Amino acid sequence: MTRSGNIDQNISRPGKFGLFGNSPNEFVLAVSLVALVTGASLPLETLIGYRAVALVYLLLVVMVGMTLRRGPVLLVAASSALAWNFFFIPTRFSLHIKGIEDLMMFGMFFVVAIAMGHLTSQLRSSELAERRRQQRSAALYELVQQAGLAPDLDGGLRAAITLTENLFGVRGALLLRHPDLTLAKHPHPASSFSLSEKEYGVAAWAFNHRMPAGKFTDNRPESEAAHLPLQVGSEALGVLSIFPSADMILGPAEIELLQTFAMLIGTILERDHLLQGVKQAEILNASERLQRALLQSVSHELKTPLSAVQVGIDALTKEIGKGGRSQTTLHEIQQALRRLNRVINNLLDMTRIESGVIHPKLDWCDVGDVIEAAKDLTADVMGSRKLEIALDRGLPMVRTDQALLEQCVSNLLLNAASNSGIRTVVKITARVVNDQLVVTVRDEGKGIAESELPHIFEAFYRGTEARPGGTGLGLAIVDGFIRALGGSVTVANSRATGVEFVITLPVETLRPDVLEKLA
Amino acid sequence: MSENATALVIDDEPQIRKLLQVLLEQENYRALESENGRQGIADVAQRRPDVVLLDLGLPDMDGLVVLERIRQWSQVPVLVLSVRDGPADKVAALDAGADDYVTKPFEATELLARLRAIQRRVHGEVEAARVEAGHLVIDFASHIVTVGGREVKLTSTEYALLKILALHAGKVVTQKQLLREVWGPNAEEQSQYLRVYMMHLRKKIELPGAAERLLKTESGIGYRLVVPTSTEARQS
Repeated sequence: MTRSGNIDQNISRPGKFGLFGNSPNEFVLAVSLVALVTGASLPLETLIGYRAVALVYLLLVVMVGMTLRRGPVLLVAASSALAWNFFFIPTRFSLHIKGIEDLMMFGMFFVVAIAMGHLTSQLRSSELAERRRQQRSAALYELVQQAGLAPDLDGGLRAAITLTENLFGVRGALLLRHPDLTLAKHPHPASSFSLSEKEYGVAAWAFNHRMPAGKFTDNRPESEAAHLPLQVGSEALGVLSIFPSADMILGPAEIELLQTFAMLIGTILERDHLLQGVKQAEILNASERLQRALLQSVSHELKTPLSAVQVGIDALTKEIGKGGRSQTTLHEIQQALRRLNRVINNLLDMTRIESGVIHPKLDWCDVGDVIEAAKDLTADVMGSRKLEIALDRGLPMVRTDQALLEQCVSNLLLNAASNSGIRTVVKITARVVNDQLVVTVRDEGKGIAESELPHIFEAFYRGTEARPGGTGLGLAIVDGFIRALGGSVTVANSRATGVEFVITLPVETLRPDVLEKLA
Repeated sequence: MSENATALVIDDEPQIRKLLQVLLEQENYRALESENGRQGIADVAQRRPDVVLLDLGLPDMDGLVVLERIRQWSQVPVLVLSVRDGPADKVAALDAGADDYVTKPFEATELLARLRAIQRRVHGEVEAARVEAGHLVIDFASHIVTVGGREVKLTSTEYALLKILALHAGKVVTQKQLLREVWGPNAEEQSQYLRVYMMHLRKKIELPGAAERLLKTESGIGYRLVVPTSTEARQS
């Protein structure tokens, strides 16, 4: 700490605002002043007497006490006492004092001079400290005014750098944090110098350790510049680097103020980040609302006529009665209508997935129940195919979105049904392994060409062997929903025959028997 | 069930209103129409229909608001017909006081079954001493539940659950309502209890290998005790 010791002794050069200004050697000044007063008093002594000269010396001590630091003031007090003794008290031009009265006078003068010097300099130093505090808050206020309230971030940072440079008489640079949380190599464009490889290393150290580093600090003081992390909370959002001129010295008070500056700049950056986040969320929200409204109105426009046709078919069916060719026609229309409805539902689901408006609602599910529900939903399409359901013994309840999972399982069942012959077996299994729900659906169809497997979850992709009637969306929807739930779905040709789909979902689990004891 | 019941259709699409009128009249309903929410509310007050078919996407106000207004002074059974097919939309309508919910497009058999179920509930709650659903018979007076003629022992919680579903036979009951009525108002979010007891209940009352399940899960909404059409025919 030799460096800072030095600065306490008031040597550095005056800053722009005189904030940390120190006079040149005040001790020299002190001694010269005493010499001057002594010289001026010598001719006066015959007029006013040597005792009045003591008052002139005291006046000097008081005046000096109001302008100089304590050390020089005490020097003035002591040397005045000695000068008065030597030049004026009889016997003159010797330190010897003749009369007891003069000896007393000298003693009292000495004490009074020292005490006055001490008191006035104390007064002054507290006044100085007060002024320094004021200037410091003025500087911070100015930073907040100019930088914090700037309409845009770049303007704010530019103002912050300019203010730092003017206030401390240094050159400044800002290195900001990249989105990937590393420190940018290139300084912000408002900076007035760029860092050498070596200085960047020191800046990076300050950034990583969240501590000031470089010149005037305890860490790597041999550097040419000082680097202060822009710290907010436990995070560093960048580094403020200052490059002082060669002969310049900054003390701990200045470094501390610079640190406060760095913190404020950090706060400005953070405020900007937060604002950006809010803005982005607002845009996202607005676009999601729009998407929803659009989806709702499209769905309304498509499904209303569909409903009218459906009600019409039902009314006609009832009117015509059983049997006859019209009934057959109506049945075919009914089938086509169901298919159209499925296509529309698939398109709407796919649109929901692609516009990201799917927000799973997690709740406890009985997986067996989900599979049963999917089985009910697909019963008409499954026809005479046999569905084997094999649930793991003691399968726990899982937390997931039941409706989404149910639709995925039924889409896989529909896919199995359309790719395998009647009277084949479709097998579903479910188990929980390491907090992952694994559901498999296997059919006994012909399987899928290996070259087609990677594309099977793409929207509108239809296998070359696929039967007519599908939309090519069912599996894409499964993939989209399972992703929305945080899981994945894969497909492979099974060893024997057909294909096997595997849904893997990370889930919270709860064993029913644990619950029964509680309930 | 009374024949020639009056059904009020509140829907802004003239085609749907007209075709529903044909369908309802085929089933011996007297059909009335309202083309917007305001008129619908007035018609419920003045013409006192036996059942209301309410669309949610009305031009002047949201169907849910219409439902809430009606529910302030009337317990008329309301069946919501809407293209909104998300579980959240359905739960919102049921919470607002709808008796059941059918998504458009719907098939006549489903619509008519729901209509019958919600009308039965209004009469059923006070009159029925027993409810039959397929092979299941619940006798409220004696608390005896039989499956295919054989009595099954239910715990008090299982019985309480089944009773609520039976009182609303054929109609969906939300998960929240079941939890609230069986476990109390603080248990509305504790769906895990419901899942476990439904598992037990199913094991006890559903016959293995039955074509259709009696206790149907409406994913994200709740449960429904299904009343097979054969049972319905026998009852009426």
